[in-house]
Amino acid sequence: MVQTKKQKYLFLAFCLVPTFIMFSIFTLYPLFSGLYFSFFEWSGTSQTREFVGFDNYIRLFNDEIIPDTVWHDYFLVATKVIGIMVMALFIAVALTQLKIKEAPFYRIVFFFPNIMSVVVIGILWMFIYNPNLGLVNSGLEMIGLEEWTRPWLGSETWALPSLVLPSIWAGIGLFMLLLMGGISNISKSYYEAAKIDGANEWQQFWKVTLPLIWPQIKISILYIVITTLNGSFIIVQVMTGGGPNNSTHVMGSYLYQQAFTQYNFGYGATIGVMILVLSLITVVLLQLLLRRDRVEY
Amino acid sequence: MKRTFGERLVRSGIRLPLILWSLAVLYPIFWMFLGSFKSNAEIYANPWGIPEQFNFSNFVTAWTEYNLDTSIFNSFVVTALGAVLCLVLAVPTAYALERIRFKGSQMLFTLYISAMMIPMVLGWIPLFFLLAQFNMLDSIIGLSVVYAMSQLPFTIFVLTSFMGTIPKSLEESASVDGMSPYGILWKIVTPLTMSGIITVTIMNAIQFWNEYFMALIFLQSSENYTLALAIDFISNEAQYTNAWGVLFASLVFAILPVIILYSIFQRRITKGMTEGAIKG
Repeated sequence: MVQTKKQKYLFLAFCLVPTFIMFSIFTLYPLFSGLYFSFFEWSGTSQTREFVGFDNYIRLFNDEIIPDTVWHDYFLVATKVIGIMVMALFIAVALTQLKIKEAPFYRIVFFFPNIMSVVVIGILWMFIYNPNLGLVNSGLEMIGLEEWTRPWLGSETWALPSLVLPSIWAGIGLFMLLLMGGISNISKSYYEAAKIDGANEWQQFWKVTLPLIWPQIKISILYIVITTLNGSFIIVQVMTGGGPNNSTHVMGSYLYQQAFTQYNFGYGATIGVMILVLSLITVVLLQLLLRRDRVEY
Repeated sequence: MKRTFGERLVRSGIRLPLILWSLAVLYPIFWMFLGSFKSNAEIYANPWGIPEQFNFSNFVTAWTEYNLDTSIFNSFVVTALGAVLCLVLAVPTAYALERIRFKGSQMLFTLYISAMMIPMVLGWIPLFFLLAQFNMLDSIIGLSVVYAMSQLPFTIFVLTSFMGTIPKSLEESASVDGMSPYGILWKIVTPLTMSGIITVTIMNAIQFWNEYFMALIFLQSSENYTLALAIDFISNEAQYTNAWGVLFASLVFAILPVIILYSIFQRRITKGMTEGAIKG
């Protein structure tokens, strides 16, 4: 049977149009409409939606909390990138290069937190940090460092750093697997050649492994940065709600507070635009920064 | 080859952090299971040890007094509905993008893919009012649609790469035999892509089951709460009621399906997630 042109286009429309309509309504329209909302003052409930031009943006630049939220986001980005990459690299190299019998066990265990709900992770770690019952404080007491115990999530200085550990805990597995995939694709002959040249294991790591898995490292870093900027507020919302005294608010949790608890929907949308712009700029800059000639031996 | 003493030392030196990290991952999870069997008094007296006796009263209380039965049911509905809707929308589009040549196909694909990287948090404010207009705010159906749409780009992306591996000759011979393109899509391509469909659906289902923030925004009344919201509610309330045992029991309810899926489909899940990240 030869299809007529009309039949072909009918089939094409059947495949594409319903999905695209849904996508336009529930994804494209809200994004563009968010941009539009950022120029209005709107409490949501009433019909009075007032066009205010760039007022929300002026307010954004004068809001004292905003620079803190941006700093908190990038603090989480930086600490997560370093923590996850160092640990994931170590684990990936250990599990692939040194023939450890129980390697599959570690792989399965380390990945599991990646598919746990943020709610479960957040609540578990709230208990680990609990001032009276928590593992952290009782552990410190056990090794005689009582003066180091503190209400971790209740302290303005320590609450934000305390959020890093659960994020690393939950994030390592995926990147470990990514890097392991890269390492196992490296041909054994490179290592043999390096050995003949007298390179020790440490040098092999720096000269052979690292350059050859650079693409995977780059992808991992980008992925951590994007997911953190677009989603760090979830763990913040569960564990601290932005407190104490705004010391853990990130851009997303501040947006949630402004829009959905204080009903400043216009201003919330303006914060959303800021998140969009910052994450786009960050990704573009990172791509330039991480560009490195492809290594082939 | 005999190993030297030094090599053995390095080996055990590297094992130690691996063992410690496994403990750091496993212990909190075990501890959550243990806690769900303890009374509140015991949680205070002996927070990190083995319970004196295993009793299931926390689970019963969570189920009956905290309406966890409704929340679990809601979570199941949202998960199933979201996953099915996502597939229904993604399979035909993935097929058309992968197999049919038409103007703008590359552009449409890029549009869907770039939606994976855009922070949706900006869209949630207009989406809130949109759902209100459609009478889909504070509704399980509305949330399912939102969930399905949130995973649509990822699903299209995974499915196109799976469909790319099917040999074209099968479709061509079916077409010569007089099968319509609809028949080819339904009877040939879909069964051959089943492996990809299963992988992506498991991952979507876990995502929907775990999701918290969109549920927080788009649901309001407690009879519509999903499990994640119900747990968050119990957790906030436990500051005053000290119902920690119930909280642990509800965490167990939340994590059990994920553990079961992970133990059955471990390979699929890890493979799907790493490939999604590499190409995405």
